[in-house]
Formats: sequence, structure tokens, C-alpha cells
Amino acid sequence: MSPKNKFWWFAAVSGVLLLAIFTTISVLLWRQLDPSHHAALIDIFKNHFAYLFITLFLVLTGFVFALDAIFHNYIIPVSRLAEETRIMSSVNASHRIQIEGSSDIVRLAKAINDGAESFQKLRRDVDKKIREAKSEAEEEKNLLATFMAELPEGVLVCNMEGRILFYNKRSRTFLERGAPEETEWGEMAGRFIGLGRSVFGVIDKNLIVHALDEIAEKLDQKEDSFATYFVVVGEGGRLLRAEAVPIVSREIRGPRMTGFILIFEDITDEVESERRVEFLLQSLLRRFRSSVAGIRSAVEAIRDYPEMAATQREHFRQIIHDESVSLGTLLDNTAAEYAGFVKSHWPAVRISVTDLFETVKPKAAEKIGVTLTIEPPPEPYPVEVDSYATTMSILFVMERVRNLTGANEFTCAFDRRDRFIHIDLSWEGDPVRIETLRQWESRPLTVAEEGIGLTLREVLGHHDAQLWCPACREPSSRSSIRLFLPAAEKTAKPTTAHAVTISSESRPEFYDFDLFNQPGQNPELDNCSLRELAYTVFDTETTGLNPKTDEIISIGAVRIVNGRLLYRESFDQLVDPRRPLDYDSIKYHGIQPDMLAGQPPIQRVLPTFHRFAEDTILLAHNAAFDMRMFQVKEKETGVRFINPVLDTLLLSAVVHPAQDNHNLEDIAKRLGIRIVGRHTALGDAIAAGEVFLRLIPLLAKEGVRTLKDARMASEKTYYARMKY
Amino acid sequence: MAPKILIVEDEPNIVVPLRFLMEQNGYSVHVAATGEEAVASVPEVAPDVVLLDIMLSGMDGFEVCQSIRETPEGRSARIVFITAMGRDVDMAKGLALGADGYITKPFSNAEVVEKIRGLIDLSQ
Repeated sequence: MSPKNKFWWFAAVSGVLLLAIFTTISVLLWRQLDPSHHAALIDIFKNHFAYLFITLFLVLTGFVFALDAIFHNYIIPVSRLAEETRIMSSVNASHRIQIEGSSDIVRLAKAINDGAESFQKLRRDVDKKIREAKSEAEEEKNLLATFMAELPEGVLVCNMEGRILFYNKRSRTFLERGAPEETEWGEMAGRFIGLGRSVFGVIDKNLIVHALDEIAEKLDQKEDSFATYFVVVGEGGRLLRAEAVPIVSREIRGPRMTGFILIFEDITDEVESERRVEFLLQSLLRRFRSSVAGIRSAVEAIRDYPEMAATQREHFRQIIHDESVSLGTLLDNTAAEYAGFVKSHWPAVRISVTDLFETVKPKAAEKIGVTLTIEPPPEPYPVEVDSYATTMSILFVMERVRNLTGANEFTCAFDRRDRFIHIDLSWEGDPVRIETLRQWESRPLTVAEEGIGLTLREVLGHHDAQLWCPACREPSSRSSIRLFLPAAEKTAKPTTAHAVTISSESRPEFYDFDLFNQPGQNPELDNCSLRELAYTVFDTETTGLNPKTDEIISIGAVRIVNGRLLYRESFDQLVDPRRPLDYDSIKYHGIQPDMLAGQPPIQRVLPTFHRFAEDTILLAHNAAFDMRMFQVKEKETGVRFINPVLDTLLLSAVVHPAQDNHNLEDIAKRLGIRIVGRHTALGDAIAAGEVFLRLIPLLAKEGVRTLKDARMASEKTYYARMKY
Repeated sequence: MAPKILIVEDEPNIVVPLRFLMEQNGYSVHVAATGEEAVASVPEVAPDVVLLDIMLSGMDGFEVCQSIRETPEGRSARIVFITAMGRDVDMAKGLALGADGYITKPFSNAEVVEKIRGLIDLSQ
């Protein structure tokens, strides 16, 4: 009601009330008076009406003014006060009441303003504190995430049931097998790491149980270290050493294990190099012993039988000579072979020699005040070095040369001979003598008081490098020192990806699979809320639309855990359909025949996908089609999908029954989702996942909260749609 | 009759001094360069002592030892392993297979002579 109307209502009600009181008093007075008094009163009214009327008018006018004053000073301000307070508390906290009215009202407004002010200030402080804490936590989280991601070890954190609560990138490289593999021991299905997945999918359960038993024992014995170790074979036959560490919560009854951390270290190279060294040593020993045996035996025979025939003695001498020569060769070969071994414990980065010297250059100027000119090599010779130690070594040598010869301008040139890169550091002035160089090699590396606690010889030795100074002066007056660094092996290039064009038509709705009676359904799952379940949202691309005759050529999937779409836990696999592709179908899925050559067949892919989807709810758009495709392959692949199934198409129809279009594009548009990679299996799977997450709150408004609710609601619309 | 020694060794530079040494000590010496040859010659030679190298191409010393022990002539023979490996585990394995002695390369001539003399005295 507007204030004006309110006023007239107020005035009218007050007027009527006043009139009623006046009339009642008048009537009562009239009844108690005698008829003579009546006559006298009537007479007074008649003769002095003007006075009475004026008096009445004045009284009424005064009354109206009083009303107006009350109304504008109290009633209107109070209702505005309420409104504006509401604005402050809900919409705009910095709004302040500007009001005119009685002094009481103005005081009240001021008190409210003051309250709001201090409340706002308090809130600002709290917000600031929250923001600070948040950004601090975020920073810590990022730091931890970066740290974990860059760790050379794989890390898995699990609860006591073996569910993975945390993993880092490395653990996936170590243990995950995205695609099935044929090995000499037979078919190996894929295995996956993901939040909420069981660790037993990637590591044999017995190993972990054994490790946990050992840890429990150690906890009981109150030993200092609770960690225990085992070895597992990882992806690609890599040998991993796993360290199992318990997560212990201290309780009154003593420590209790609530989970465990597995830390994986790749020891393949270490073991391999140990094995090679062992082999080399053994064969060296054996051949050495043999040769020395011949020599010793011959020498002793000559010594002990001086009267032996001359030809016999000559024969023995020959043996001694031959064996001595073969010992020499043996030592050379062994040394050469040993030099080729990987030094696994020394940190090495792959870098081109020019880049290495480009990092040396500014430091040379800054730390020891010498200039370095780099002559670019014909190709970027790559080396594998600990760049810090190598840089320090070069600076160390330059500083010594400067101190010795006074040279402060150096030039470096590069060349490659066999497996070594030659780095020539030259200067104008005297050469360095070999014995001086040897002295330098045995000193600790220090440059301008910065040291690394190793000698030059140790650093060179670790890099299998050599330092040499050509003894003779070159024809010019320049001298030089040559560093030999082993060249790094070449590595393979990554393969290039295909580019495809995609058409935007969709598959028709499909109803040839009973989605609602999957054997994997159970009351426990049924009562879980939709948000807390784990889903595998997937999509397939096929050669056509007939499950009986057409084949799957691609499966894409992502996982949803705790209401989050885990983009990184995805499954994306092309499948060789073992039949030619129709040219027409290519424009729907964009998969070219040559992309499928060499891909695994469905008999190998489906078991892997089955593992990927283990213990989750299957979720797809128009799921019946995909489920039917899988069902047709049941006999061939030996896997049966018993997981409960939800369909985003049906769920969308539950939320928006009035809409006709429930294809993925239209739903996505309605819900404000942008689809990337439409019509690739993975792209569509991600879109369906995003759609599902937006549908959850809308479903809740319809009273659909649990898995069972969702299935029953789907079933209802399913039959409703079938009637069309 | 002089005791007979069978030397099984594929490295001529060890065979030559060993043969010389044995002959100088009055033994009759036969040489086999491979394990197969050694096993084949045992019935004919009926050696008193077999000096057997472990590392042979083809049949290795352990196999030869086992085969010799399976022939009637070989059962009474004394078998001494000569090895360049020198690991305790090889020694234990050789002795477990029924060897009577064990010599590690490089050996001293005196050591070999003494060991063989001891074994021959033992069987007489």
C-alpha cells in the first residue's frame, strides 16, 4: 500500500471512529434530557448554527493536522525504517538510513545505522581474514601439488579399505595401463589409478596385505621405523620399489592405523646397471684368473724344472707373452664397457653445449670478471650433465687460467668426435702445463668463494669427462684447454595427432535395453544421494546405428567422484572394428580408417573399460544404445556390465518434461554448458558429465535425490516417451 | 703302472703347463678340450684323477662331473674342479655334486701336485 493510500485509510478509520464516539455520546445525552431541554437545544442549534459549525470545523481541522503529524513523523518513518533495515541486512550492507521524522525516530535510525556500521566493519574484517586464510591455504595447496607432481617418486595415499585418497602424476606413469597390452605372458587388461578407486586394481592385494601386516607388527613392537618395503612390476615391465608407510592416529588405546602411503621409486635402471656391473665384474674376474693361471703355471714350471727342453721352455715363454697381451686387452675392453654405463645416481639434465655455455657466460662476467665468446657449433650437440657442477667446473678452470696467465678473454668452440663432444676453451697467452692441470683437478671446486665440496676430478669422473691441455702452442699465440664430454644419445620423437572435421547430427533416441534392472543394483547404493556416488560417464562412437551389425570404434569416459568431474581420470581408446568403415559414418565421428589400423580390437578394449568402470554407476546420454552395444559383445569379450545405469537423456526429461528436445546439444545449451570436442567419444562423455552435474540440483527440486529416486523417475519418463 | 690323469680344459695355455707338470711327476696324462669329449673318454681312459674346469663351452663342469659319476669307471675316479670363478657358492655346489677337491685359478703348481698326490695316496 502506498503511503498516500495508507494515510487516507488511517484518516478515514480515525474519522469514523471519532464520529461514532461523538454520535454515541450525543445520543446518550439526548435520551437523558427532558423534552423542554430538547426544545431549548434545538432552538440553540437553529439560532446559532454558524458558531457551532465553525467550532466543529476548527476541531475537525485540528484533528486532521494532528493525524497528519502523527502519520508523517511516526507511522511512515517506522515502516520505512523496517524496509531500509531489511535492505541493509540482505541486499546492500553499505546502505544507510536517511530519514526525516520525529526526533525519536531519527535517534532510532541513527542507532540502527551505527549497528549496521559496526556489523559491516566486523564482516569486512572476517571476510578479509577468510580471504587471507583461503589464499594461504590455496598457496600451500598449490605448493604441495607442484611438489607432489614434480616428485620423481610415485605417491599413493589410501585408506584402510585400499581406496585411493590421493595420487600424483608419477604414480600413474608408473602403474597405470591405459590400453590393454599383449605380452609374452598373454593378454594384460588395463589398470587404473583414480580417486576412490581400489589400489588393488594396480597392485596385487596379497602384497599390500602382507606389507600392512608387517607394519602392524612394527607398530605393536613400538619400533622406530614403521615403513616396510616390497618390489612390484610396474607399467612397461619397470621394476618399482614400494615403500609402505602407515598413517597413524594417536588414540587413547594406542596408535591406530587409519590408512597408508605407498611411495614408488623406479629402480629398473639401478638394478639393470647393478646387474651389468656385476656381470662385467664376474666376467673380468673369470678371464683374469684364467690368464694369470696360465702365466703363473708356466712361470713356475720354468723355475722349477730348469733342465726342461729348449722348445718346451720357448713354448712356455710364448704362453706367458700371449696371456699378458690378452690381459691388457681384457682390461681395456672392460674399462671401455664400464664407461658406457649410466651413472644413475648423479643428477643429469639434457642440454645442448651452447645452452650450457650461455649459462656460463654471464656468471663468468659477474663472478670472475672474464668475457667468454661462444663460437656456434654446426649443430646443437646435446650432452647430459649436472649443469650446476659443470658450470662451476668451467668457471673454476677459467679463474685458474686467468690467475695463472692473466688472460681475461676466452673463446670456446665445439666439435664432435665419435661419442665425445670436444669443447676448446682458448685464450691469448701461455698454455697450462699438464702437471698444473692435475693439481687443479685434485682441489675442491670453489669459484669466488662459492663451493660445492667436490673436486674437479670427481665432477669430471661422474660425467665420464676428461680435461686436457694440448702441450704445444698453436701456430698463433693462443693456448687452449680441451674438455671432452660424452654426447647424449638421441631420443625418439613423439607421434603427431590427426586433425578431423566433425558434423553435428546426433544419434536418435534408442530404447532397446532394459536400463532399470541391472544386476549390480543394490539397496545400499540405491539409498545413496546422487552427489556422493562415483560415476563413469561414457560415450561410444560406432560404425552405424544397429547394435547387431555395427561395431564400436571408440570409447571415451571420465569419472565423477564426490560431485566433481575428474577430467584427468579419463579413458580414451580407439577400437579396430575389424571391418571397413562406411564413408558416410566418418562425417559423424570424424575417425579416419587409418587411425584405427593397429588399434586393439573390442575383445581387448572392453575388458579394460570394464575395469575402468568398476564399482561405479554407468552414466551416458541415451545409455540404452551404448549398453546394448556392450551387451551384444558379452560372449566375445567375456565381460558383462552389471553396474547400475543412469541416462542423462531421461533425467533431463524428468527435469524439463515440457521440452521436446533432449539431445545432448540442446540440453547443454539449456543448462549453459559449452561442449568441446562434440562427437568424439571423450568430448561427448565430458559433456554428458557436465550436464549430469547441473541436473543434480534441478532433480533435487523435483524430489529426486537418491539413486533409487533417479532410476524410478527415469523409468516413468521412459515409458512416457515410449508411447510416442 | 702310472696313475692316469684326465685334464678337461678348453684353454690350451693352461693345458700345456698342467700336462708338463703332471708328466714331470710321473703321471700318464690325457686331455679333453670339451665336456662331451671328457665324458666319452672316461670308460676308455679310466682316470684316477680328473682335473675339471667348470667353465667349458657346451656341457659345463658340473654336468660333466655328474655324467662321469654315472659311469662305472668314473665312480672310483677322484674329481678336482678347477675354476676361475672363485665364489664360495660354486665351491659348495661342486663339492655337493661329488667332487673331491677344488682349485681356484690362478693356482700354484705345487698346490696342484700336492692335491693330486694326496688324492692318489688316498685311493691306494
